[in-house]
Amino acid sequence: MRIPVGIIDVSTGEPVQAELFDDVTIEDFLETQRDWRPVVLEAAQQLTRAGGRQAIVPRHFHWDWTRKEGDLRMLVNRFYGIRREDILQGLAKFMTAGQVCRLSGQAGKPLVYVDYLEVAPWNIKPLMGALGKPHRFAGVGTRLIEIAVRLSVEEGFKGRLGLHSLPTSEPFYINTCAMTPVGPDATKQNLLWCEFTPGQADGFLRR
Amino acid sequence: MADHSKRTMTLNLTDGEMRVLEQLSAQKDLSKTAVIRQAIRLYQLVDARLTRGEKLFFEDDKKAKSELMVL
Repeated sequence: MRIPVGIIDVSTGEPVQAELFDDVTIEDFLETQRDWRPVVLEAAQQLTRAGGRQAIVPRHFHWDWTRKEGDLRMLVNRFYGIRREDILQGLAKFMTAGQVCRLSGQAGKPLVYVDYLEVAPWNIKPLMGALGKPHRFAGVGTRLIEIAVRLSVEEGFKGRLGLHSLPTSEPFYINTCAMTPVGPDATKQNLLWCEFTPGQADGFLRR
Repeated sequence: MADHSKRTMTLNLTDGEMRVLEQLSAQKDLSKTAVIRQAIRLYQLVDARLTRGEKLFFEDDKKAKSELMVL
């Protein structure tokens, strides 16, 4: 699948067309290691040196997508990427089994679990701010959450979605996406478990 | 790996198997097809990890663990 999706060019404030694809390969993982990771590390070092703003130091600086090569062969996993100007702008791994809803009223029901979602570092405003540069595209993370919700609908899960949020991403999931913060998960480094009900997912898609 | 086109098959189940499938379908708020697809994905996931030498355990409310053997 390759379909056009809209993201925002921050330099002009105008929407531009990017490509959403699901035939993710090891080449895409290697691209994140080659092009993304050095920028994330440099920004993390700048933020750490600056001190006093530890809360915004990215916690995903150690992520290594190439370790997920074996996951590409498992039916339970679905990978999606977004490209613009032939450059990878965002990458996500969703799971369609193995996790269930925890929110009262839908506990135990199946959902799409957002296992990993990463946006290219040049699209993350605080990171680029640490490097004294403007960020490039906005809306990449939102487009990836949107495809996760659409996958949930397609799978018969009615838009139910769940994820463990890194502390630096909580404002995005709670405020931007309007997911429900259910609570910290002691079995997952106390990361905040967030969830979409079918109604919330429908509202998200209609925005 | 991203070919998600679907193919159709006929599935013959015993009354007991169909009863369980219908129960799961109602409990999980899923179609029977979706339940079967979930089962296949989980079976593949568990089998791959067991093949790698990992073990699958269930833990009860007293923290007692029992290993699940999967054929």
